[in-house]
Parts: sequence; C-alpha cells; structure tokens
Amino acid sequence: MKGCTAGLALFASSQLKTFASMPWHTNDEGEIFVLVFLRGGCDGLGLVAPVDDKFYAGARTPSLRIASGGGQSGLAIKQSLTDADFRFHNRAGALHELYEDGQLALIHACGLTNGTRSHFEAMELIEKGLVKKENTAKGWLSRYLDQTEVKGTLPAIAAGGSMPLSFLGNNQAASLYGLTDYSLYSDPRALGILKSIYKEDKQLGPTALRTLETIQYLDKKGASKNYRPSSGANYPQGWHVEELSRSLKMLAQLIKMDVGVHVATVDYGGWDTHENQAYRFPNLVKGLSDAIGAFYTDVYSYNKRLTVVVMSEFGRRLRTNRSGGTDHGYGNVMMVLGGNVNGRNMYGKWPGLATEQLNNRVDLQVTTDYRAVLGEVLQQRLGVTDVGKVFPDFEMGDRLGFIS
Amino acid sequence: MLELIIETFILNRLGYGHSAEDIALLKEIGYEKYLEQQLNPDEADDPVLKEKLAEASFPMNMGRGKEVDKPLFLYEAPVKTLWVKEMEGPEFERRAERAVNEVMYVSLMRAVYSKWQLKEQLVAFWHNHFNVNVEADERIQLLFPLYDKVVRKHAFGNFRAFLEEVAKSPAMLYYLNNASSKASPANENFARELFELMTLGADHYLNHLYNRWREVPGAFEGKAEGYIDEDVYEAARAFTGWTVADGSEDERGGILPNTGEFYYFEGWHDNYQKRVLGVEFYPNEPAMADGRKVLDLVAYHPGTALHLCEKLCRRFVSDNPSEALIKQAADTWMKHQKSDNQIQEVMRTILLSQEFSDSLGKKLRNPLELFVAFWRAMGMEFKPNEEHSWFLYYMGYRHFRWPTPTGHPDVAEHWVNSFKMLTRWNLIPMLFEQEWEEHQGERLMAMIPTDAKSCHDIVYFWSFKILGNALPVDTHDKIVNYLAMGGVGTEPPFVKGQELEYIMLQVIAIIAMTPQFQYR
Repeated sequence: MKGCTAGLALFASSQLKTFASMPWHTNDEGEIFVLVFLRGGCDGLGLVAPVDDKFYAGARTPSLRIASGGGQSGLAIKQSLTDADFRFHNRAGALHELYEDGQLALIHACGLTNGTRSHFEAMELIEKGLVKKENTAKGWLSRYLDQTEVKGTLPAIAAGGSMPLSFLGNNQAASLYGLTDYSLYSDPRALGILKSIYKEDKQLGPTALRTLETIQYLDKKGASKNYRPSSGANYPQGWHVEELSRSLKMLAQLIKMDVGVHVATVDYGGWDTHENQAYRFPNLVKGLSDAIGAFYTDVYSYNKRLTVVVMSEFGRRLRTNRSGGTDHGYGNVMMVLGGNVNGRNMYGKWPGLATEQLNNRVDLQVTTDYRAVLGEVLQQRLGVTDVGKVFPDFEMGDRLGFIS
Repeated sequence: MLELIIETFILNRLGYGHSAEDIALLKEIGYEKYLEQQLNPDEADDPVLKEKLAEASFPMNMGRGKEVDKPLFLYEAPVKTLWVKEMEGPEFERRAERAVNEVMYVSLMRAVYSKWQLKEQLVAFWHNHFNVNVEADERIQLLFPLYDKVVRKHAFGNFRAFLEEVAKSPAMLYYLNNASSKASPANENFARELFELMTLGADHYLNHLYNRWREVPGAFEGKAEGYIDEDVYEAARAFTGWTVADGSEDERGGILPNTGEFYYFEGWHDNYQKRVLGVEFYPNEPAMADGRKVLDLVAYHPGTALHLCEKLCRRFVSDNPSEALIKQAADTWMKHQKSDNQIQEVMRTILLSQEFSDSLGKKLRNPLELFVAFWRAMGMEFKPNEEHSWFLYYMGYRHFRWPTPTGHPDVAEHWVNSFKMLTRWNLIPMLFEQEWEEHQGERLMAMIPTDAKSCHDIVYFWSFKILGNALPVDTHDKIVNYLAMGGVGTEPPFVKGQELEYIMLQVIAIIAMTPQFQYR
C-alpha cells in the first residue's frame, strides 16, 4: 500500500521512541477496539434491569424504571445468568436486536471497586487502569500501546475534540473531530515552516508534528467529503446524540480508509441525571442505541475484527430522589459488541437488589471488576498475555466467557 | 540579538495580552506599583471600555427568521425586569438567549478593552471555578446577568461571602439541582460539588480510607481532615429548601412566589439533626441556619485554603506550582478568612512571589487568552459575534458552556492535542477571512511604519506588534525567507499589490502560530 509505506517512513523515528524494549505483541490481524465511554454515570438499572424484582419496583418511581407491561414495556432478553426477567429500556431497540442476534453481551454489576462516587476521581482511576490513586502519568491504553507494535499510520484515535486520559503518555494518538476539515487554512507553504519551527520545541513539538503529519497523510489519502455509510446505516440526528453520531461515523470512515485504526475512544456525555431523568434518559438511551446500531451496520464487513465496549464511570442509586432523578451509585452494566462476542447472554454475577445485597445498603454492588472485562478483551482479541502489564497490580480471574 | 521585553511577559500573565500603552506604563511605574493598581480596580475608571459598551449593539433573534440589532438592554437589568412569569414558549427562549448573549458579549469586550486586566482574568477564573453551564437550563440563561454580577462583585473579596451568594444564586440552584431538592431524599448534586469542586477538593475526599464519620481523623474534635460520602448526604439535607421563587408547586397545594429570586422554603427543608465533618447540627434550627453552617465549615476548612490556592497558583503561576508557594498562599488565605479583601491579599502573595517571576512566559495560553491576545495586539476593531464563539468552541473553550461542574481544566495537556493544535493554528486565517472588509489589506499595510523597509524590518515590526517581543533568530529568519519569496531578507519584499497583502496576512498568521505566541 503506497500510502502506508510513505506513512511508515514518516513515523519510523517516532515509533522507535515509543517502546523501550522489543514489543511482545504485533497487531497483524488488524484487530479494532473501540471504547465508548458514557460520561456522567449512566443509570445501568434504567438501561437493563430485572423488571419482576420487587425491590426494583419498590425503589423506583414508574417513570424511572423499566416496565413489565403496557405501552412502554421493556424489551425482554434471554439469559442464563439468573431466573429474573431482565429487560432492556424500551428505547434501546437497536441494542436489543444486536443482543438477540448474538453480537452483544451484557455484564452487569461491573465497576470500580474503589467505591468513589466522584465523577472526576472515578474517571481518572478507570482511564489510568487503577483502583487506587497513584502518581502515574499513563493511561491504560497508553500502557497497552507501549507493548504493541502497530502498523498503519493512524493506529490510535480519540474521536471528538478531546484526548481522554486513557491515552495519557502516548504520542501516537490523534484526536480527530472530523476528517474533511483536517487541513491548514493558511498558505500551504506555512506547513513546511511550522514543521521546522516546531521540531525544536520540546513541549508542543511532538503534538505539532503529529498534527502536521496527520494533515499531510489525510490529504494524501483523500478523505471523502461525502461519506456514504454502508448498508443503509442511519446515524441518528438531534442535538443530544450529535456528538456520538459524528464520532462513530468518522471512525467508520477511517476504518474503511484502511489507515490502520487499532484502538479508538469515543465519548458520549450527558448521563448525570440527578434531576428530571424521565425526560432526559430515554433520549440518551435512544441516541446511544441508534448510533451504535448504525455504526455496527456501517462497519459490519469488519465485524470479525471489531470489538466495541460501552461503559460508564459508575451506575446510579437504586432509589430515585425527589427531584425525579437518581444520584451517583456504584455497580453498572458494561456492554461488549462484536463478531467474536458470545452474545445473547449476561455474564458475571448478579448480586440482587435486596437491601442487604446492596453496597452501603443503597447501591448495586460491584461483583465484576471493570478490568476483568477489559482484560478479557485484551486477552482474547488483542493478544495480550500479561494483563498485569496494562492494569498494574491486577490479576485476571477465570474467564467470564463473553468473547472468544 | 535583541533582549526580551519583560514587561510583555508580565502583561501577558496578569491580563490577556500586552498593549503598547501598558508596556509604557509598566516601564514608567515599575511592576509593584502596576500590580497594586491592578489589585484595586476602579470600574468607573475605564473610559475605552465604557465608550465601546455604550455604542454596542448586536442582532437579537425576533422569531420567524427576523433579526434586529439591539443595544445592551438585559445586561444591567434588575431581576424584576429580567424575570418573566411564563417560563415557556419561543418569546421566553429568545429572551433567555439574549440575556446570556449579552453577558458573553460584554465579557469578551471587557477582556479586550478593559484597563483592569487582572480583574478580568480573575473573574474568568471564578466563573470557571464556580462553573455554571448555561445550556443546562434556559432559566439559567435568563438570569445569567445576575450570576455574572455575583462573580464580578466578589472576585477580589471574601470567599465565605462569595460562597453564600453563589449558593443562593438561582443560576447555581438550577444548575446543580438544589432548587428542586426536597426532604427526603434530598438531591445530592450541589452538596457533592460544593465539597469536591468548590471548597475542599477531591484530594480531601477520604472515602477510600474511611467508611464512617468517626473514623475520619479529627472528626471527634469537630476538625475532620477531609470528607466522606456521609458528609455529602448530610450537607444535601442541610440545603433542602434553598430554592428559587419561580412559582413552583409545593405538592401540598401551595405555590411558591414567582419573582426569580432566591427563596427559602421551610416546607421542603429537612429539619432534623445532622452531622457534617464531625460537627453536630441540632434539630429545628432557624431558617437557612443548617446550610450556612455547612458553608462555614467548608469555607473555613484549611483543606479549602490549600485547594483554592493550588488552583489560583495553577492559573497564575504554572501547571505544577510548588507546595511551598501553595502553602504560602494558603497561609495568607487562612489569615484573612474574615477579611473583605481576602482574595486580594492572596493574589498579592502569589503575584509578588519569586516563583511567579520565574514562571513568566511558560504557561500555555488557553483558547480565550489566545484569541483575546491577538485582538489586543493587532488593535483592530473588535465586535463579538457568533462566529467568534464557534472559533473558541473548536479550540475547546466553551464560554459559559463547559458541560460539567468541573469547569475547564487548566493544564497544557488539556489544550494541546492534534485537533486542538490545528484549530489554534487555523484561528488567525479564519478570523481574517471572517473579518475581511474592503480595504482591509491596505489598512494592514498602512500599519507598517515607513522606516520598516526590508523584509527583516517588516518581520521585526509584526513580531513586536503581535508577540510584544522578537522571535528566536531561527524562526525569525525562516519567516523572513518566506516574505522574501526567494529574494534577500535585507531588501524590501519584491511582490507587490494584492499578492503582497496576501503574503503579509500569512506572515501575521505564521507569527501567531509560533510556539512563542502560544505561551504567556
């Protein structure tokens, strides 16, 4: 591939600097890992819950719980984990379809065993792959990339305008908001001048050079202005889902450009529903469901190499508060989607919602460490043999079995 | 080799960017006198800004696709003028949008034109610290001029007094949902952010260590070292009933008054005994006493001094201020915690420190600072418009719209990634394209003094105009080569007319793209 070789030549020097020793893993198979992070604390018990559980019905006002009957009743799922009647939120149609189709698996009661109810702290710990605060300047994806030899020019993408902490300490990740506007507005000759000026700058140099190289590379590859999603995939519109649709659509386009996308992060914010949850949450669920559905349809031909994980920093309280919302909780649901996922089932351990089964007597317990889920994806799909190198001080237990 | 002008660095750090007049003033009276002036701003003495605001006018959406230019009419309005009883409908929405747009307009005008630059930086700091996202609720938009006044009033003042006015401000009551917090269970949002973001900070969140209040060191003496979730729950109970008089129903058949002001409703208050940070609260205390006691406990906590001073040092000194400086500032903070000019004293300590002097020129400009610095440097006529907000947004700066209560992060890593680097670089070309008026090119050329003839002279001229300093020799030479277009740097540029205007624009843009312009 002509573009790829030229790209490698440009980055040869920067790649050598990213691993201190020989990499023990090579991404030859072209695996693609996408992490969708729901920012704000997604209400897992509002997304997937046991509708026939008396504690669930008792603690939640009708508008904030998944119903077992009536016009808004939840979408029933088959699972062999418990006898309870687990259902998806009524508006998660696309996710429900993917689940029943065997492409999506659920692991409930997951989370960060640290127990913090602070967004800031929880996100920082999760993105650094820790459970205890440590003075580390490395995100978990950076630790993974440090050990991996990646081919291709854009192996690590942060979709959207920001760089998440999970890429902290990594030089390869490019944050991309959109593809077609990724160019310098000034005289093209300025590009060369900027390159030579920024080469000397220690602080901004690496990022500046990466930006300039990405500009040149995308320009060469010719990102199409009129990208048409495959198979009639329809990314949802609307201000509450626009951020997610745009990021996923751009990722789909990049994946198909064969620039070597290996890991990508996507953010979807707005889930911190302390108040008025009955109004806001259904829109978020529908947005998430439709956008993920569209993305998966769009890149379906890559599905055997693709794994998508959807997670949030914590769940929300079982009991509703009196502002019509829920406050910060603990255990939450994680979703894994892909062609190698053993879908149509729930994994892990369901702790129950009786008061003595709840954490601090108020929140869904955590029975599966978030790192166990991410670790299993790393092992099964990304060829990682020692998960402890990515998540320090963490030991993998038995396989949960949600992915092959 | 020219020596760097230190005054430029001082002005870039204390305010939004140098101007020729300010450099001259600083040179004349020296830093300490200049700092004292800036620490004692007199809003009545701001002639250029006042003139600009008096003639300000910008379009208001009148519905049905119509827009009418209007002067500022909501920015100074009292609550009874701002407030409308009907909280719905397109007319309400347009009014709310206008109110917040006026605050944004004035805020940008102040940054560019006010002579009290340190105050404007500090006001921006406090807006970020007490972050309110106007997009969360239209009622916040409508009342935002009043919130801005609260922040501006207390920027150099007393933190405890500031904190109470923020807690009572309808903008914050709506944003963190305390307006709808009723016993029981109370809504935890405000209480959590009060502890975690506004006062003690996440470093004093001890939840991973202690499960029960009595385990927290110092709790028995009423001097808990830090807070745990139980404190948040109890504090949330203390603030129940702190709401807004917006005509809400009280579920027992009553209705709150409808004025848009702070209102304490006893009917929603959880009156029973509480314990916060190890301190007992008796049941059935007088109106608002519980909430005020929580504010006392958090405002006067030594952890708060450290947390706030760390943030102030990060803003005004460096991304990683030393513990020594933070402690020194925190000592001033604690010493003056009952003083009316507490924050002013803390700023004095920080800005007179050696660490401050040593740090000049090394802190990355955030997008707002970058944007304003360019306008101040160029001296072009500035009239804020919607496009400017979009430029800021793409660079990552969400003016009064940061989506989470944490406010914008204040470290270089946040502002510099490949996408944000690109948008920074593109800012100037995009600004020129947007602001391009007839004869703009000629006006630019006319700025160049007649004795600046050679390419070298011209690049020096623009460097000093934009950066307030010379560029490093290598960079300077590269730009001179560009301007010379194959000619010699000691000669005037050989391109002429429109082509020269285009090249000149690029020279200005490239200077604004250099690493030197990214820092303050």
